[in-house]
Amino acid sequence: MSPLNTIFTALRGVSSNKLRAALTTLGIIIGVASVIAMVALGNGARAAVEAQFRFMGSDQVQINSGMVFEDGKFVSAGKILSYEDGLNLPEAVALVMKVDMSVSGAGKIRYGRATLDIAVTGTTAEALENIMTGKDVQPVGWQEGKPLTADAFMGSGRFFTPAEVLEGAEVCVLGSKTALDLFGGDDPVGETVWVNRQRCLVIGVLAELETTDVSQRYKTNPNELFYMPISTAIHILYEKEPSVNLVAHVSDESRMDEAKAQITDYLRERHAVEKDSEDKYKDDFTLTTRKDVLGAQQDAARTFSLLLTAMAVVSLGVGGIGIMNVMLVSVTERTREIGIRLAIGAQANDIIAQFLLEAVLISAAGGLLGIAVGVLTIPLAARLNQGMALLEPNSIPLAFGVALLTGTLFGLYPALRAARFDPIEALRYE
Amino acid sequence: MIDMGSHTAEFTPPIIQTEDLTRVYQRGHSEVHALRGLSITIKAGEFVALMGASGSGKSTLLHLIGCLDTPTSGKYRLAGREVSTLTKNERAHLRNQLIGFIFQNFNLLPRFSALENVSLPLQYRRAPGDVRRKAEQALEHVGLTQRIHHLPSELSGGESQRVAIARALVADPALILADEPTGNLDSATGKDIMRLLTGLCQEGRTILLVTHDTQISAHAQRTLYMRDGQIVTDGG
Repeated sequence: MSPLNTIFTALRGVSSNKLRAALTTLGIIIGVASVIAMVALGNGARAAVEAQFRFMGSDQVQINSGMVFEDGKFVSAGKILSYEDGLNLPEAVALVMKVDMSVSGAGKIRYGRATLDIAVTGTTAEALENIMTGKDVQPVGWQEGKPLTADAFMGSGRFFTPAEVLEGAEVCVLGSKTALDLFGGDDPVGETVWVNRQRCLVIGVLAELETTDVSQRYKTNPNELFYMPISTAIHILYEKEPSVNLVAHVSDESRMDEAKAQITDYLRERHAVEKDSEDKYKDDFTLTTRKDVLGAQQDAARTFSLLLTAMAVVSLGVGGIGIMNVMLVSVTERTREIGIRLAIGAQANDIIAQFLLEAVLISAAGGLLGIAVGVLTIPLAARLNQGMALLEPNSIPLAFGVALLTGTLFGLYPALRAARFDPIEALRYE
Repeated sequence: MIDMGSHTAEFTPPIIQTEDLTRVYQRGHSEVHALRGLSITIKAGEFVALMGASGSGKSTLLHLIGCLDTPTSGKYRLAGREVSTLTKNERAHLRNQLIGFIFQNFNLLPRFSALENVSLPLQYRRAPGDVRRKAEQALEHVGLTQRIHHLPSELSGGESQRVAIARALVADPALILADEPTGNLDSATGKDIMRLLTGLCQEGRTILLVTHDTQISAHAQRTLYMRDGQIVTDGG
């Protein structure tokens, strides 16, 4: 039989029981749609993680205080990471060029009769530069493509200097919203505010900032800021010395592992870390580089895609068994037709082609509908997953191909069975 | 073998020639001997009726002659070709080329129109030619020009059997095998169908007809009676 005739014949076969064919496609639809949606979720999650760590420079080693879970809360595993730990690090480890340090705590700010409860950030003098290189925020109305300078982030006055950080100068820099809340419309620079009952001189106000991610703009206001030198903040905000967030910048990126080892040695010595019974150090800190994060992310992605494959195999397997079931029923119902076709000269291959093509047509219809459903599901999945779903274009031909393969695989047995019918028996079938 | 007296039959080669044909079925633990050493010769252009009680083996013989089945032993030559050693696909090819089947219950495909049903044998050919024209000609031949786009369910019994005969004719076979072709029809319609078959024989086709009805078998030039898997009478 000519290919065109075979297609027409198969189409007639499928259309002779439309409802049954439609119900059969359901498994394939769900399988294909879930493949597309899940690939999109994985894709979105990967993009989100990459966006999150894009700004973690490849020269950075993040140093965190080791935490243990005790009595229902996380507590420091040993000694905290102190301001001095960070301050002395560049001197002790030659590979470390500089160290960013920060603490954050609740502060009560008063100016005249206005008071404000706000998160106070204690940082080093590089903080302004780090805001700029972080690229999370930009001055409002900044033209795209125009190179950013640290100055562009200052509204009026200036940021504090390394010297002011070292001596613990009682100075502060306000975000534009903070300035407006405390001072109405007046210029705060040169005025003195009270921070937890300590005097503090306002030396600068940041420019009005907006998040670079447009979707975040209605959620957060990046202008409720209050910056102080870290030494001053520790002194004013805390009764007990707090743990400091440290980010070490390594001068030679090819020697990150070496730098990590040296930082580890330095901290072990300073914290007098002991060994446990198995001769392993009980470190009270953790070091993280961009490579570590990406490696962990890749592991997660691998697990995720394994899960995805399992899900695709199961749902398409169920869909395929549905097709096989319907084709077996169809072959039995049409035993007489097969007998007639054999009697007038159909060869085994003609019968196989006819029924195999019917199965493939059903799976192709399911595949196309599944692609539509999958693509339409992505915005919904994105809403449920904090915007983390991105259509992967390659998943469409992949899912369709898998659907066709499923139809072929599961349609083969019923088709072979039909072709093996004895024409005499088949003609007698009632 | 009895000569039919037809002046053409004497010189024509046999289209069907069987030699000591047996067919044994396994039914449960017992063997059923449907054919017991049957030998017949039918010449091209003969109109032969095959009669016998049910269980006499006439259906089995028809199936063997129609290349739908293979004998347990013995030889069968169809138009000079040994059939008993052919493969399934080779027999399918032979059916398509040489044989047209007509059944008691018409055996039309219910979802296909008369024209599509008639076209079917041509579609299983490598080079079918102008399928539509040939199918229309075959339908015209059996006197159906009107209702060719109707489904079998919309046709009367006589019309359905005409469609079936057109389907048997369309591929221009040398041999037409008819299994009780008038069994489901009233006697007037049955006579029409027999007239059609007689006409086909006069065009030079060989016709082998299975029937219970002596009025039907009277249309044939030669009648074979079967009993217990053998031909018991062979006469005009």
